[in-house]
Amino acid sequence: MTMEPETPQWRDRATLVDLLDRVLDRGIFLRADVVISLAGIPLIGVTLSVAIAGTETMLKYGILTDIDQEIRALPPRRGQVQRRRRPAAGRGTGKVKVATAA
Amino acid sequence: MTASPTVADTIGTDAVYVYCVAHSRAHWLLGPIGLDRNMVYTVPHEGLCCVVHSCKAKPYQSDDPQAVEGWVVAHQRVVKTAMEAFDAALPMAFNMIVHDGPNGSAIHSLKGWLAEKRDDFSARLEELAGKAEYGVQVFWDRQAVIEALTERQPELRDLRDEARAKPKGQAYMLRQRLAKAARAAIESQANQYVEAFYSQIGQCVAKARVERLKRVNSGKQMLLNLSCLMKKDNTALGRALEKIREIDGISVRFTGPWPPYSFVSAA
Repeated sequence: MTMEPETPQWRDRATLVDLLDRVLDRGIFLRADVVISLAGIPLIGVTLSVAIAGTETMLKYGILTDIDQEIRALPPRRGQVQRRRRPAAGRGTGKVKVATAA
Repeated sequence: MTASPTVADTIGTDAVYVYCVAHSRAHWLLGPIGLDRNMVYTVPHEGLCCVVHSCKAKPYQSDDPQAVEGWVVAHQRVVKTAMEAFDAALPMAFNMIVHDGPNGSAIHSLKGWLAEKRDDFSARLEELAGKAEYGVQVFWDRQAVIEALTERQPELRDLRDEARAKPKGQAYMLRQRLAKAARAAIESQANQYVEAFYSQIGQCVAKARVERLKRVNSGKQMLLNLSCLMKKDNTALGRALEKIREIDGISVRFTGPWPPYSFVSAA
């Protein structure tokens, strides 16, 4: 018996993580500094840094699993209840519900 | 079909987004399969070509994860299409964009780059012909393995059985010893597995690259994460993985074929 490889399916989150690893971190990089100095080729070689993609993407794709999501304040959305966790001020942390201004 | 992009495809653009490099002498149109459905075409130069779309000279970036996801998937789709059309392709990383400059147009710069890299890229493409990248991840159910080891190894089993028979205080001390011994046993087992699997897998493929382990949400722990380069019709790896996944507590994730992102270095 032989194990068959799964062809990457984009609905599968795990495969999307595999893809992001490959496409963002590997493949040929045109390094702006190196190429400009060696061959005078004008370039923009900006990789899609994780900061640009946004922290939500990082968390969703499991790139950052250590960050405590609650500590990072999520930007409030209009008309939605915003839950904010108070930084420890003595007795543990309390959850505070605050309605955003419409 | 061999053709060139129309004026409509390139109007208002001062750059090209580069997807990959392949062996080809012709001007090919791959269709509107690029990021944001841009028209993808080839820029040939002396036997090599870049697969590109025309764009504005700025990187693709967004706070919207869905937009990013769409671009990344489109990038992969183009590279995969090129790999199939041209039998091999050297994938670029995401967002490699060449713009018009004082010394010439983006296309002109790209041709210069291809000329400079010709021997290197040609050799790499030859080496990659008929091959693809495959991802191999081996996991184990750590808890299940601990229990199995405890059952099998007399030192651990005896501690466990003793602890069950003793009153609380003594049982606690025994359990501490058991936990320590079990940790050592599982470390040792993990190392044995990793070495064995890496060796077995390595024998089946042209190249194997060790990747970082990832945290997994389920009860499993990742033991080994490899990118492998091998011929597409190679069945040896599949057979080796089948044997590996038959081991109690072990599971395997095998994905591919991928374009060989992990086997082209910075240029």
